Parts: sequence; C-alpha cells; structure tokens
Amino acid sequence: MSTDASHEVRPAVESAAGRAPRTANDAGQQPGPKDGPRRKGLSERNRPLWMLIPGGVLMIIIIVVPLLLGIYMSILNLDQYTLRKWVSAPIIGVENFVEAVTNSPLLHAVWLSVSYSLLAMVVTLPLGIAAAVATQNAFKGRALIRSVFLIPYVLPSFVVATVWRTMLQPGGIVDEALATVGIHVGLWLNGPQTFWTLVLVQIWASWPFIYLLALSGLQSVDHEVHEASALDGALWWNKLRYVIFPYLKGPLALAFLIGMLHHINNFTLPFVLFGVPAPSDVEVLPILTYVTSFQSFRFGLSAAMAFISLVLIAIPLFVYLRAVKLDDADTPGAKK
Amino acid sequence: MSATIAGRRSAPTADVDRPGSHRQHEVLRLLPGPLLVIILVFLGALVLIPVLYIFLASVNSDIGVANGEFWPSSVTFENYSKIWTSVGLATGLTNSVLVAGSTAVVSAALSVSTAFVLVRYSFRGRLSILRGLLALQSVPGTLMVLPVFVLFSSAATYLGIQVIGTQWGLFVTYLTFAMPFSTWVMVTYLRGLPKELEEAAKIDGASNLGVLFRIVLPLSWPGIVVSGIFAFLLGWNDVLFASVMTRPESQTAAVALQIFGASQEGGAIPYYGQMMAAALVCAAPVVILYLIFQRYLVGGLTAGGVK
Repeated sequence: MSTDASHEVRPAVESAAGRAPRTANDAGQQPGPKDGPRRKGLSERNRPLWMLIPGGVLMIIIIVVPLLLGIYMSILNLDQYTLRKWVSAPIIGVENFVEAVTNSPLLHAVWLSVSYSLLAMVVTLPLGIAAAVATQNAFKGRALIRSVFLIPYVLPSFVVATVWRTMLQPGGIVDEALATVGIHVGLWLNGPQTFWTLVLVQIWASWPFIYLLALSGLQSVDHEVHEASALDGALWWNKLRYVIFPYLKGPLALAFLIGMLHHINNFTLPFVLFGVPAPSDVEVLPILTYVTSFQSFRFGLSAAMAFISLVLIAIPLFVYLRAVKLDDADTPGAKK
Repeated sequence: MSATIAGRRSAPTADVDRPGSHRQHEVLRLLPGPLLVIILVFLGALVLIPVLYIFLASVNSDIGVANGEFWPSSVTFENYSKIWTSVGLATGLTNSVLVAGSTAVVSAALSVSTAFVLVRYSFRGRLSILRGLLALQSVPGTLMVLPVFVLFSSAATYLGIQVIGTQWGLFVTYLTFAMPFSTWVMVTYLRGLPKELEEAAKIDGASNLGVLFRIVLPLSWPGIVVSGIFAFLLGWNDVLFASVMTRPESQTAAVALQIFGASQEGGAIPYYGQMMAAALVCAAPVVILYLIFQRYLVGGLTAGGVK
C-alpha cells in the first residue's frame, strides 16, 4: 500500500510487488483473464478448479443466500408469528423502509454510528502515529513496549467491554480514581454520557491497529531519507512533518477506511458494555438492528434497517475495494 | 521487518552505521528524548493500568470491586476456583475451544486449496472471486444474523436438520465467515512463494494435488498458521451469533462471561471478582496464541505492507 504510487507507473500485468526478490518469480505469472486463452502454459491444462467448490458452496449457502434472503425479508411483514412460515408471509413492499426512515430511531442511529466512528478515529490516529514514531528506533526494552502496545488489540472485544463495564460501574474504580482528583462525572453506563463512554472505550481498544499500520509505513522509509534529512539539519518536527509523514499517507488512509468500517460494524463493544435494550444515546446501527429483530421481533423492519446500513457501509467499502490492487500482494486484507 | 533492518545494515555507509552506534541513532532519531519518554509512559500507562486492574480485581472480593478498590483489601484466589461451576464457564470454554478450534483447522485447509487455485491458475472470473472475497469479509455480522437464523430454522422445519442450538450451527457459520479473510491471507502468502519449485515438480510428473501437498503445503506453514489463527479468533471473539444461536448447553465462553454480570438485575452485587477472573481466563488462549505467533501474526495483519 505504501508503495501504491510506484505501481501505477508499472504495466499492470507485470506489476510484481515492489520488492526486488519477487520480481523474478512474478514475471510472466498471473496473466489477467484476457491473456488466459492465448497462453498455453503448464498452468493452463488440467486446472483443478474443483478445489474452489467446497469454499464456494459454503460461502454461497451461508453468505450469499442469506444476503438475498435478507433483502427479500425486508419487503415482508415479518413478526414472531409469521417468521416460522416466512415463505408465505405477506409482502408489503417498501412499507418497512418507509417506517424505518420516518418512524424509527434509524436516522438517529446512523448519525450516532457515523459520529462515534469518526470521533474515535480522530483520536486514535494521532495516538497510533505517536506510538509508531516513538517505537520506530531501537532502544532497550522496545520489544516489550511493542508487545504492551498490542495488548488492547489482542484482547477479545467481549473481554475489553466486560472489564470496562466493571470499571465504569457507579462507585467503581474509575469513579473512585476521578473523585480523588475532585472530578465527578456521573453515570457512565446510563443516560446521555454513554455516547462518550462508547467513544472512549473504542479509542482504548482500537488505537493499536492504527499503530500497526503506521509502523508498517515507517518501515518503508529508506535509510537514505534519514541521512538526507540529517545532512540538511532538519529539526525533528520538520523532519516528521515533511519527510516522514508523507510515507504514512497510504497506510493511514487504509487504516482509516478499515477502522471506520470496523467501528460502524462493531456490535460486541456496545452490546456487552451497555446490554440490550441499550440507552438511546448508544443505540448505534448494529444494536438497533439487533434489538429490532430479537427484542421487538419486527423482523421485516429489522431486515430493512440492515439493508439501509449495508448501503451506508458500501460507501467506504467501495473506496476500499477500488484502492486494493487485486493482483498485487501489496494490499492487506487486514480486519478485526 | 527483518528484511528492512538487514537492508539498512548493508547500506553503503555500513561501517559507521552499525545499529546501536551513536551516530546511527542520531540519524534515525525521530523524536527528541523527553517527548519520546512522555509518549511511551503515557501510552504504556493507558494500557497497563487497566490490565493491572483486571489482575487485582480478579483476586478481590465482589464488594471490594464494587467499591472501587484498586489494591484489594483482602486477597483471595477463590474466584479462580469458583468460576468453573458458578455459571457454566467450563462448558462455555469447552464449546469455544471445540468450535473455534475446528473452525481454524477446516478453514485453514479450505483456504489453502482455494488460494492455491486462485493464485496459480488463471481462469475466467478469477478477479471477480478475489474482489468478492474482499467484499464479503466486510459484510457486517448484524446484517447476516437474522437471515442466517431464518435459514437455519427453515432447515429444521423443511429438512428436519436441527442446526440452531447446536455447536454445528456455530461451526458452519464461523467457518464461512472466516473463509474470505483466511483465503485472502493465503492468497497474499502464496504469491510470495517461488513458482519454479512447482513447475519443476510438474515437469517431474507431479499432479496438481501432488504439487499442493508436497510443494505448497510444506512451504506455506506460516501463512496457514496465520489464516488458521484468524479463523480461531473469529469464532472465539464472536458474541453476536453465539448469543442468538446457542442454548445453555452449547453456549460459548463469550456468552458465559456475560452471565456473571447478569445477576445485578436482582439488585445484589454481581460476581465482579469472578467476572474479572473469567475475563482473564477467556483472554488467555488468545494472548498465548499471539505471544507464540506474534511475528507471523503482525506480518499477516498488515499483509505485505511490512515485508
């Protein structure tokens, strides 16, 4: 990703990853589909395409079919009585969508989801960059520090949420600690401040991801670049700002996209932190969709909401898919 | 990562630039010393204080945790012996290990063969499949949980196959949702393997399967481990599907952990101490996996960006 720009000047077919050792291996390999029929290489004969079947069948049955089913369900009048015989449930067209937009907390949820994701991202970006810059150069104990920085990332989401839920109880450790310095915040897990609780815990959990990607960007900085800026006598801030940060643009753009997708899709954190039904200030999209299905049993309405959130997610997803070079090893499919 | 460092060592000016030498340090320096220390201390404390608190709370009494004690007034290890029986965490952990473990193994196996075909052979629709893999891994679980639930309950109604409430339902679901990412990890990994070995094997008369089993598999263990571990984590960390599709006897650790806090609706103090102990136990397998395979995993995460 970091070397994205350099790829664009290469011929698409031969664009081996920008790393010397691989160029030899990749030359002439993986022709695009257009080249396929012309080239009768070894790999053209007797292709074991059947190996795609097990994974393909699974993904079609468990992902593609339910996806279509979900879209169909969004035009049905589906509740706990009609669910069992959903095939014969009455079709009500766009009514679910109309209700979702005009007469449900959906728009509020969209606003919450987007603003919470952005807020968390705005804070985690500088934290992650600072951490990466601080641990880039070798010093005693760096390996340990790096492992420590990864802890929030490694811990399962449900553990993180459970722990913070305990710490944020009224009269719990956080309240006690803040009280000793004279700060009284009030309720964390109920009422209007829950939104900020969610943002804070999300920040704690997800800055190491930015850190990881920023670190990978820093490692693509050549030694000569450091030498040059040292010769020029650049001050540390100028060196960071004008020499180092441009290298981080690619990885951080990717981190931004994946991070936003992850925040918007995050169900576990708000679910475990606040339980359901959640306070209305943290009723983000995944929680709202879940509650509408499994607490209010308005399955059709929930399917419509899910469809609308898919459209919302499609925007960053589309940008992400466009950015990924499918035939290059360069772009991570990083997740989680 | 190591490649970059090695590259630096062999830079033209290597004689003065031994890593660790003073001059080298000055050239590579990005931050003034005091700022560096401030950042490290701040972020270290941000992470370590809550982590330390989990340990301390797990040996504290429920009342101690509820009153916001950082240092326990009375240390007890009873929590660690009680968690196994009080809410069925043992069952949950067994189920989690079974489901996530088998998901990891099967998904790794499937993704190797799928990725092998996608990387080494060209055919119509190959790029669409690659793009589809990337798109599918971003489909949110909350979108899928209801239709998958309906699909599974229809399987019970029309085909007589009971899936919901069993470990099989979770296994199939996790396996499928792990496949796109696991396959993508393997695709990136296999691209880095030299093709010549496989071609040589083919010239010597090896079949496609022979190439896969004798050449590709032995060479791609690091990739297989990464893709398996990510599948394991997907199953282990999931709350959404597990909370909808399990019964008490098939629930996973993630669901069981929530029950420790559930008693608070009654007004009494929840099993806070046990909950923290159980949280540590649930986190342990994941942390251990990371510690063992850290090098591979971090590389796999930023797949390609680092190497």
